[in-house]
Amino acid sequence: MKQTAQLLFKNRRPGETVFLGEYEKTGGYLGLKQALRDMQPKQVCELVKNSGLRGRGGAGFPTGLKWSFFPADKPAPKYLVCNCDEMEPGTYKDGELLQADPHQLVEGMIISAYALQADTGYIFIRYAYREQFANLRRAIAEATEAGYLGQDILGSGFSFELHVHGSAGRYILGEETALLNGLEGVRPNPRSKPPFPAVRGLFGRPTTVNNVETLANIQHIVTGGATWFRDLALTVDGAGTKLYGLSGHLQRTECFELPVGISLREVIDEYGGGVWRGRKFKSCLPGGASTPFLTSADLDVQLDYQTLEAVGSRFGTGGVTVFDDRTCMVAVTLNLIRFFARESCGWCTPCRDGLPLVAWLLEKIEKGDGTLDDLEQLKGQYSNISGNSFCALAEGAMGPVDGLLRNFEQELVDHIQKGRCPFAGS
Amino acid sequence: MSELLTAEQIDQFKAHIAAIEHPRELIIDLLRTVQENRGWVPDEGIELVAGLLGLTPLEVEEIATFYDKIYRRPVGRYPIHICDSICCWSRGGEQLAKHLQESLDIAPGETSADGLFTLLPTCCLGVCGRAPAMMIGRQSYGPLDNAEVDRILAELRQEAQA
Amino acid sequence: MINLTIDNQRATVPDGSTVFEAAEQLGIVVPHFCYHHAVGAVGACRMCAVMVVQGTLPGLRMSCMTQAEEGMVVETSSAQVVEFRKHVGEWLMTNHPHDCPVCDEGGECQLQEMTIASGHGLRNYRGNKRTYQNQDLGPFVAQEMNRCIQCYRCVRTYQDYCGGRDFGTMGSRQRVFFGRFRDGMLESDFSGNLVDVCPTGVLTDKTFRFKTRLWDLEQAPSICPHCSLGCAVVPGGRYRELQRVVSGVNLQTNGHFICDRGRFGSGYVNHPDRPRHARAGGSRVSVSDAVDSLRQRIDEIVRQHGAEAVAMVGSGRASLEANLLLREWAAGLNCPLPVFELHPRRARAIRQTVGTLSDHLASLRQVRKSDLVVVFGADPLAEAPMLALALRQVVRAGGRVVVLDPRPVELPCAFEHHPLTQEKILCLLAGNCEKELFNRLLQDLMDARRPVLVGGGDLLGGVGLQLLGHLTESCDNDDRYCLIHPLLPQANSFGAGLLEGPEQADLLERLESGRIRALICLESDPGSEHPEAGRMQLAISRLEYLAVFDYLPTHAAKRADLLLPTTTPLEGDGVFINNEGRMQAFVRVLQPGTPLSVTGQGSHPPREFVPEMPGCQPRPAWQLLQQVLGDKRTLQGLRRAAEDEDSRLEGLSRLHPGGEGLRVVPSSHAPVEESTVEIWSQDGVLRLLPVQARYGSEHASCLSVKLAPRMARPQLIVHPQEAAERQLKAGETVLLKTAQGTFRFPLACDERVVRGRVIVPCLPGTPLEIFVPGGLSLPCEIEGEAP
Repeated sequence: MKQTAQLLFKNRRPGETVFLGEYEKTGGYLGLKQALRDMQPKQVCELVKNSGLRGRGGAGFPTGLKWSFFPADKPAPKYLVCNCDEMEPGTYKDGELLQADPHQLVEGMIISAYALQADTGYIFIRYAYREQFANLRRAIAEATEAGYLGQDILGSGFSFELHVHGSAGRYILGEETALLNGLEGVRPNPRSKPPFPAVRGLFGRPTTVNNVETLANIQHIVTGGATWFRDLALTVDGAGTKLYGLSGHLQRTECFELPVGISLREVIDEYGGGVWRGRKFKSCLPGGASTPFLTSADLDVQLDYQTLEAVGSRFGTGGVTVFDDRTCMVAVTLNLIRFFARESCGWCTPCRDGLPLVAWLLEKIEKGDGTLDDLEQLKGQYSNISGNSFCALAEGAMGPVDGLLRNFEQELVDHIQKGRCPFAGS
Repeated sequence: MSELLTAEQIDQFKAHIAAIEHPRELIIDLLRTVQENRGWVPDEGIELVAGLLGLTPLEVEEIATFYDKIYRRPVGRYPIHICDSICCWSRGGEQLAKHLQESLDIAPGETSADGLFTLLPTCCLGVCGRAPAMMIGRQSYGPLDNAEVDRILAELRQEAQA
Repeated sequence: MINLTIDNQRATVPDGSTVFEAAEQLGIVVPHFCYHHAVGAVGACRMCAVMVVQGTLPGLRMSCMTQAEEGMVVETSSAQVVEFRKHVGEWLMTNHPHDCPVCDEGGECQLQEMTIASGHGLRNYRGNKRTYQNQDLGPFVAQEMNRCIQCYRCVRTYQDYCGGRDFGTMGSRQRVFFGRFRDGMLESDFSGNLVDVCPTGVLTDKTFRFKTRLWDLEQAPSICPHCSLGCAVVPGGRYRELQRVVSGVNLQTNGHFICDRGRFGSGYVNHPDRPRHARAGGSRVSVSDAVDSLRQRIDEIVRQHGAEAVAMVGSGRASLEANLLLREWAAGLNCPLPVFELHPRRARAIRQTVGTLSDHLASLRQVRKSDLVVVFGADPLAEAPMLALALRQVVRAGGRVVVLDPRPVELPCAFEHHPLTQEKILCLLAGNCEKELFNRLLQDLMDARRPVLVGGGDLLGGVGLQLLGHLTESCDNDDRYCLIHPLLPQANSFGAGLLEGPEQADLLERLESGRIRALICLESDPGSEHPEAGRMQLAISRLEYLAVFDYLPTHAAKRADLLLPTTTPLEGDGVFINNEGRMQAFVRVLQPGTPLSVTGQGSHPPREFVPEMPGCQPRPAWQLLQQVLGDKRTLQGLRRAAEDEDSRLEGLSRLHPGGEGLRVVPSSHAPVEESTVEIWSQDGVLRLLPVQARYGSEHASCLSVKLAPRMARPQLIVHPQEAAERQLKAGETVLLKTAQGTFRFPLACDERVVRGRVIVPCLPGTPLEIFVPGGLSLPCEIEGEAP
């Protein structure tokens, strides 16, 4: 195992949470002080743009570019919202980070708010993250006490207040406009875009929504510089480190901070301890439940945005879920589709009614009752749902179906021809 | 039966509502507080929240029924959210759910005869590294096997008797 | 303007149009569900997909959400689009029940049409279907949720457009439910629109359920007669029974929706007490015998006592044509011209509207588009419900609504209410009091881009409307007028007002003194319309000869020496002119006749066989008057003659039923009113203000059985302080002492009522019917019942 630079996980120790005193000892809030003292808000934005940081919540949109849409010169209120509704199966990195070191996010948000000249922040956190919610509450109180939050922060003239909003379940709240509706207390269906949140966001005001991990990187970019940050990645286009949450059929299912661009094989073998029970690798979701499956042919792919797109998948959230060679990929896909169908908000037809139909087809095939016509139906569902739903949820749901049809079609045919699941009982 | 909201909580919420521009943003906080007090949110809870926020009960119901962690029907003292998403599934989640059903003698969505446990299948709990997992109340447990589940249930039964 | 190509056809559309709208303009129907003209596009159903071949974002796009772009090329039926739409049809139909044969939507089901249009014919899905438990939404709307396709139109209409807060969306994913928190009657005064917007059989008209299949329904475009707004409606009936009313579309007036009073108020057409037989001297006669007898009798009275002994009363309930013929008759006899509004103060309000205000009148559409509406003395939900909905659209678009009114006015939107007495409002308009408020409003009106003043004719009267006219003029500028939207008592008050001759304030005295020996009432009821209703009823009872043309069982109709039953506006053709001077034609929906449900008493066929259809005697009043006059012109001929005679009616003969109608040409001759405003000292003085109730005041809809659940109950409403000062409590029965007598009614308290006033709804058929709205407030006192 090579030694990797630890930015976000530098203070992480099993079973412990680092709070202000210790956080400051390891350089905490130096980035904030530096930004407020030495940099104009625009310079911070420029720096983030040059750092090559991309959104860590799944979509991978360049953070600097997203910020450039934000009208910093508009009058208050303007909002910075942190998306901690981490609910995509296989994704638990933000929870790990906030369990270990909540000030990472708080500091990152203050600098980001300064860069955007936002005056109010919200952290939207999922129901299940009870301890992380408490950690954030405490961290915010500490930061306020220390003068890092509130009026005239560190005498800079910049003021920022930060709130934590606890949700009550539902994956759709992770979609940024649904999240904003959730914060407002209206039905959390996604909003149509345009207008984008930068123009009309929370309560109709300019808003930027960023992921926990994205925001937590900001202070490190400020202190380390854009070039240093880019150089942390192992790919030419990549930048920074990434939190990889390992799960599924691995010996070790933990979360690691590793460079962007590390190879899948290295992650599995070196960090995941290899496939469990001495079995062979069959497939994996490289970045959460909505990313198309990879196969053993892809093991040497570097985990980064472009490289994964080149093999027909996506970097996503960095949650790597591995499946061994006794796994039925039809059953895996069925499980995933059931998740998406259940988490649909019910707004648009392809998602609300299309996903249950896909689940029904997969169920039929998995049970051995499928026909070749059902396989054609499945393909038709896939190609018509993809790209045609209101928000990205159904689109994401088609990720695994895409992977199944491209990489494991024979497995579907086997189910149909044998009239049963070939993996049943194994 | 405990109050929906204590007098102190009502005062706090009223002050908060008066102080902010968009009181509606407190709707989930209010519903969650009612649920913490009462274990679930009965119709009167919806009406109470509506009254505080100046909304109609329907307008609160529209929100309450969207979220799966707001219980609009009575649940047992310990609502068990058993994860059925992919990571837990891959490591024996289905078998675990079956074990829970058998040992509690209930189907998903039902409450055990002693009124202690309600079994609610749920999506990913965000503890994929500790699969298979479940969340009881708001405490997550994992990785689990049958023995561990039995131990936890026994502990809770004991706690309930105390 | 933007030029684009859709299906190889060139379209030119205004900036900001969507591809859907551009296609529609070309006559290309893109299948759709969630899109609705009135509630807009939300991109939920995904049915309206098209292929953008050239444009900023090429590919499969939802046409309702895609802005038309210059040079864009779009195909609405390329192979990929057709394939996708077929899938949308499949998804929507996954859970839809196979109950079309028993579904009330059959024949007008958009889901059926669009599913077929989408090419989805056979269901592949064989799994279980999702089912729901239905709710009881009250007497108007039936719910059958299993049929729902989640287009969200209902909530977007009910909540967003109409401002209802008791019906919404619950649950999520494939289990979205549209309904109420609990079973119960929908609270919105516009709830019936749910029926019109639902594209399938989830929300249907409960009062119409299982009565008639659409293809058996007799329907025609008509004009709602239940207030002065003149909303487009499409009534439908069968078996001589008026069975339902749905909204018509007139973008200048109601747009796409109507109020519940209009929708469910049509039951008067089927009312068992409706006059259905001509009667002379207490016995049934044929229509032609009745007409002959009427003509002879009137000629005789004129011969014996002179033309002054005959008086005629037209009305705002009667059609323009019937009123015109009545005036011709009077002119022919050389007797005084008819009175067209029996309430002198109301008549003056109409006169002002028709005259002075006629070049500043705002349509309901212009009200909707306004950015500042100031309402003077009007309670829209009671006097003109669709105005309330228009005001909501003002607020939704960021505009402001200010209401000056003594009543506890409610609107389905946020607004600023200044509780002022009727007298204070008049005084304010005259610039004599409340100057600070007046100056603030004046400034806001001058700053507004599209200001509109609403004037309640009942509270303001002629004087008030005249003052309102002065106010609009001072708020006009070079770019725009400040418009005015007056509310009048009846559907054709404006039309009747156009015909009005000199004021006859002494009509009652002439009746009482016996100078008038014969009275002819055209769809009017002096005993319930004149402000001194009691005196009027007495005077009428002493008349030598009373002839009545009517379709309602009025006091006059019951007392008439000669009765000619007329058709309702739904059973004949005619023209109404609404409050903004819009002439609108309506045509016959049904032949008049006693409903089969009444004659057959539930059994079929009827056991009694007669050569003529039961209850078919009623004729349009204009036809009856033509018979009296021996006039052989067609309706069209009548209209042509009228426009030749009165240039304001230009276009009358070109009206198209179901169209947008035509505005009356503004008249230059303005009546001059004396602008004196009497102000009472208000300290410690209690006065009674009779007003219209939302349900139960209007003379036709108050007879509709369907509306029974919403009918207002007789009660007095005061400010709580007023009650407290007299040691009275809300809910208790109190004594109301007035010059007209002492009455016992329950007391209600409302903080929004102005101090010093007792608000009382005029309710025909109750002791409160003598308090006819439209006048100034009356002295009164309230006290507890003696112990």
